[in-house]
Amino acid sequence: MQVSAREPYKESVYILVVEDEQKMAQALREGLEADDYSVRVAHTGEEGFYLVQAQPFDLVILDVMLPGHDGFEILATLRKRGIKTPVLLLTSRDAVEDRVRGLDTGADDYLVKPFAFPELLARTRALLRRGNSDANPRFKLADLEVDVAQRAAFRGGQSLELTAREFDLLSYLFENRGRVVSREMLARDIWRETSRQTPIDNVIDAQIVRLRRKVDGQFASKLLHTVRGVGFVLREEGQA
Amino acid sequence: MRLRPRHLRTRLTLWYVAVLASLLVLAWGGTCALLFWQLRSQLDHFAIQEIETVEGLFYFTPDGALHMREDYHNHPESKDLIERYLEVLTTDGAVLLRNERLASRTLGGAILPGEGIGGYSERTARLSDGTPVRVVSRVHVLDGHRILIRLAHSEEPLLLRMKDLLLASVLVLPVVLAAAGFAGYSLARRALSPIEQMARRAQEITPERLDARLANDYSDDELRQLAGVFNDTLARLEKAFEQLRRFTADASHELRTPLAMIRSVGEVGLQKDGTRAEYRDIVGSMLEEVNRLTSLLDNLLTISRADSGHIQLHRAPVPVLALVRDAAAIFEILIEEKALRLSVEGEESAQVEGDPVFLRQAFVNVIHNAVKYSPVGGTIGVLVRTGEAGSVVVEIADHGPGIPLEDQAKVFDRFYRVDKARWRESGGAGLGLSIVKWAVEAHGGAVALASRPSDGCTFRINLPAARAVELSKAPCNTALS
Repeated sequence: MQVSAREPYKESVYILVVEDEQKMAQALREGLEADDYSVRVAHTGEEGFYLVQAQPFDLVILDVMLPGHDGFEILATLRKRGIKTPVLLLTSRDAVEDRVRGLDTGADDYLVKPFAFPELLARTRALLRRGNSDANPRFKLADLEVDVAQRAAFRGGQSLELTAREFDLLSYLFENRGRVVSREMLARDIWRETSRQTPIDNVIDAQIVRLRRKVDGQFASKLLHTVRGVGFVLREEGQA
Repeated sequence: MRLRPRHLRTRLTLWYVAVLASLLVLAWGGTCALLFWQLRSQLDHFAIQEIETVEGLFYFTPDGALHMREDYHNHPESKDLIERYLEVLTTDGAVLLRNERLASRTLGGAILPGEGIGGYSERTARLSDGTPVRVVSRVHVLDGHRILIRLAHSEEPLLLRMKDLLLASVLVLPVVLAAAGFAGYSLARRALSPIEQMARRAQEITPERLDARLANDYSDDELRQLAGVFNDTLARLEKAFEQLRRFTADASHELRTPLAMIRSVGEVGLQKDGTRAEYRDIVGSMLEEVNRLTSLLDNLLTISRADSGHIQLHRAPVPVLALVRDAAAIFEILIEEKALRLSVEGEESAQVEGDPVFLRQAFVNVIHNAVKYSPVGGTIGVLVRTGEAGSVVVEIADHGPGIPLEDQAKVFDRFYRVDKARWRESGGAGLGLSIVKWAVEAHGGAVALASRPSDGCTFRINLPAARAVELSKAPCNTALS
């Protein structure tokens, strides 16, 4: 795994995953552990509830559709007992009522299944950061440099001529350097496209092609990679 | 407990009989009363004539006693007077004379105030033995004495006749009513039997047999109308079911295609040992299909929520030109890549009352369609103008291959694609334009396509003016077709 982008405190971050489906739970555990979180899995709401009370967690990822007491009930009970651990709800229902209900019950964020895993990681990071925004406005990866304050980018010391959107895209990839960024994340965070029905994937692909031409075009070492079926990642070659 | 007959025909008959009975009782009662009144006034009339006759027969003997002339038998009509009750009083109430028929019975008792003065007074009274009589009184002056003559007829024969009449009606009325009820019942049953037939027929109609219709050969206008309305409803239902069936079939086909690919790619990938890069490629290829499935499901979810009327429009004033520009801006890079020339022009002031999210979605989908099908270097023109009655018209014209005439009606159908083989390259499952149609119609507008083969398509979206939209602010359950 890449070492460069890892936050120093991460290994001591404990996440509880409450998910009844074995495969999903296993995938969540492995995915989160690959990102160096410590993960505990509960397969029922009751078990999850017991674990949260027994041991402090930094984040609970809670499936809504659980046998017996569902996610909403567990969450409501936790909040009633004054447990303030951040909760990320997972559900397969996209109904607005559900989202509103989830947030009203005290969830900190909400993710609809099927979701892209990079999205889950991004939300997880956002919830754990909780306002501690990155104070460093200057990024550097190999010989690629981005100065957020100046809105300028350099490769091998040479300034890159980027459009506003290309710059936003690059700095977003930079913020998430070493991690795969999904098209959904780009659509939402760069294009501000909230509707999942907008046919924007072609647009994103075309924009990435352009950015790549400018960032990697004439250089031997490529930094902007496409991860087929998942999204894009900014990293040095050989780190995958 | 409330008694309520189960059958409409019984209820109809009961009402009918009840109304008939009350009408008959009223009419019969009225007739009897009139008859009774007429007979009695006839009786009074006779009595007055008789008093006039009898007045001339009275004389006082020197001792002050009153007598009636004995020769009244010579008058043919006087003979009848024996049959009458006759009483003569002084104005003080002393009895001067009572005829034989009356004997010792009194006729009307003490003198009433004003009785017989200045004319004839009629009244009904009873003799002391209870015989009902009709009394007529008259004050007469004889030899300087004021005497009160009372003459009465028995009402008994009259009452007896009335009693007979009533008895007859009590016997006849139930028979008449029973006959009327029976006739009414069979009439109601005959009139209602087509409805029963219809109900039986309708009961046999199931989702599997929606093509069945009610027979519509009734001569009665109301029944024909009922059957017609019912058949129309059935036709609409059948159409909706057919659409649903086709939609389900299409949707499962669309879902099956990516699933089949995921399966094949996975199975083939596992058949041989590959390098790490090869495996990454296989998983990536599978994930691409998963993404396709996900976006397909998102679209299907939108459609099903639109179908069930669960989508609520959050209306606000929408500047159309700005919204169209915003929608077009998404495709900026694709337009550049294909070297297309896109112009968005029109009236800045054009405004509708609508949900910006869904209207934008509609514009995005139509513009995407134009971008997708335009040849490299082509032009796309978007024009926003005000139409009739303040409506806003948005025209999106491309110069792509166009759509064959026979397919133009189908472009807004779900899962329709012009080029069935090539859709995977350009993306989309053929739901984009059906979502456009739904979104526009939910706003009370209309979308139409004008296309000449080889000269591209022009989509014309017509949105009603803000005021008109306000009027049709019904819950939007316009079905997607």
